[in-house]
Amino acid sequence: MGYEILEKVIELTDSSEALEKRFDSLAKSISQSLSFDQCAIYLFDEERKIFSLSAADGDRNDLVHTYHDGEGLPWSAIKKNRPIIANISDVNDGRWRGIKDNGLLGFATAAVYPIKDDTGNYGMLYLKSRKKKIVPLRKRKLLSVISLQIGMAIKTNECILNLTSVNTKMRDMQARLIHAEKLLALGEMAATLAHEIKNPLMSIGGFAKRLSQQFTKDAPERMYADMIVKESKRVEKLLHGILNFSTNKGFDLKDENISSLIDDTLALFEDEFKRINIKIVKELKGNITAVKADAEQLRLVFTNLFTNAMQAMENGGILTVKTDCVEKWITAEVTDTGGGIEPSIIGNIFNPFFTTKAEGTGLGLAIAHTIVANHKGMIEVMNDIGKGVTFLVKLPALVQ
Amino acid sequence: MMKKQIMKEKILVVDDEEGIRLLYKEELEEEGLDVHIAASGEEALKKLEKDKYSLIVLDIKMPGIDGIEVLRRIKEKWKSLPVILCTAYHHYKQDFGTWASDAYVVKSSDLKELKDTIKGILGSR
Repeated sequence: MGYEILEKVIELTDSSEALEKRFDSLAKSISQSLSFDQCAIYLFDEERKIFSLSAADGDRNDLVHTYHDGEGLPWSAIKKNRPIIANISDVNDGRWRGIKDNGLLGFATAAVYPIKDDTGNYGMLYLKSRKKKIVPLRKRKLLSVISLQIGMAIKTNECILNLTSVNTKMRDMQARLIHAEKLLALGEMAATLAHEIKNPLMSIGGFAKRLSQQFTKDAPERMYADMIVKESKRVEKLLHGILNFSTNKGFDLKDENISSLIDDTLALFEDEFKRINIKIVKELKGNITAVKADAEQLRLVFTNLFTNAMQAMENGGILTVKTDCVEKWITAEVTDTGGGIEPSIIGNIFNPFFTTKAEGTGLGLAIAHTIVANHKGMIEVMNDIGKGVTFLVKLPALVQ
Repeated sequence: MMKKQIMKEKILVVDDEEGIRLLYKEELEEEGLDVHIAASGEEALKKLEKDKYSLIVLDIKMPGIDGIEVLRRIKEKWKSLPVILCTAYHHYKQDFGTWASDAYVVKSSDLKELKDTIKGILGSR
């Protein structure tokens, strides 16, 4: 007797089915083989303050669903830190030795076994009989073993869940690490290449320029040479971007007012914005806490953001630029009305060399991201599909 | 015209790339400068011992004695001789060794910045 229950309890740990689901049939076996009328399993909530009904054999309606801190027989067992076998004198009273427990109504004998291990309590095994019954030592020992086994099953289950989540986190971290390493290797390779390309390119561009001067203004040769000049300048610009991105430059940190820095940068764009019908809305806080920053680098961040916005609004629009101080952060928002970024590519926009533009280098946002990160700040993107994009730059405010 | 000939400033361009030496020579001669060239740091130092120059245009990355070392030796011996450092990379600006130079120019096929810097230094003396 009792072996089949033990078998069932041990099986708890040996199945991929959710633990709670298997408790119901376990409760049924326990009450049947130990001839109780009701068997319920209560489990603690996360703070270990409330017992909630997890499983029961048969009808749950006449069961108490939760026992709050200090209530009923379950909490007496917790306080005493041992099982309770209760024989109730008045089945209509719902009370045992002064302890009120509505779950006792209509029952003459009850047994409460804490489910626990050395780290603490997981819950409670609660058995009841309508008729008065004696629970012999053998059965009591069996119940102890059962509750111990349930505790182990719960613990094993928790371990497996933890392991799965740690495993997922690790895999995620590994993927990010590989990505970062790839970027680093790519950056280093690009920098080496850029160095090697720059010198010959300079000769090509420089001599093409000299060649061009040898011809009259309308000679086709002059046009060809000018084309070489123009294209080599384009490659030079690209190389400049790569070198900027991949070399870890030292910072020239000073106290900077982000509003005036943005205002200065924006001034360079005004003519261009006017030309393609972009209206500028400025909400720049004049009296704003300073940030420790390399002004030249930060200007590059906003230059890149404005260039991006401009390219997104080729047919005009509104560019809104806001600065603010939020808690410990100085924030700058750059919002365009260029229709937003396609969700399928938004994960890539800060990746170097990712671009959707025929003439783009794919470095603008990557550089902005690197610079902001080097300033211990963050850059976030809020995409409003059909409307536009907001880039939020957050930099730590200078502590006065 | 005669006066300009006499006043021609003699400068030394140091670069290990043949194309760039030629480009500098031709472009800077057009600006009315007397341009001499050296293909390495060693050659430049030898030339400096023999001749007197108004200004040095110096590449940083060269095999053998690099530009920063050449700069150090120049400033030890000819303290007032102006040196313009030229390089493909921005980040040398952070190198303490480059601070002794009078100017720093990032190489580009557009030589305007270099020409302006040379004029600025020669004009201010």
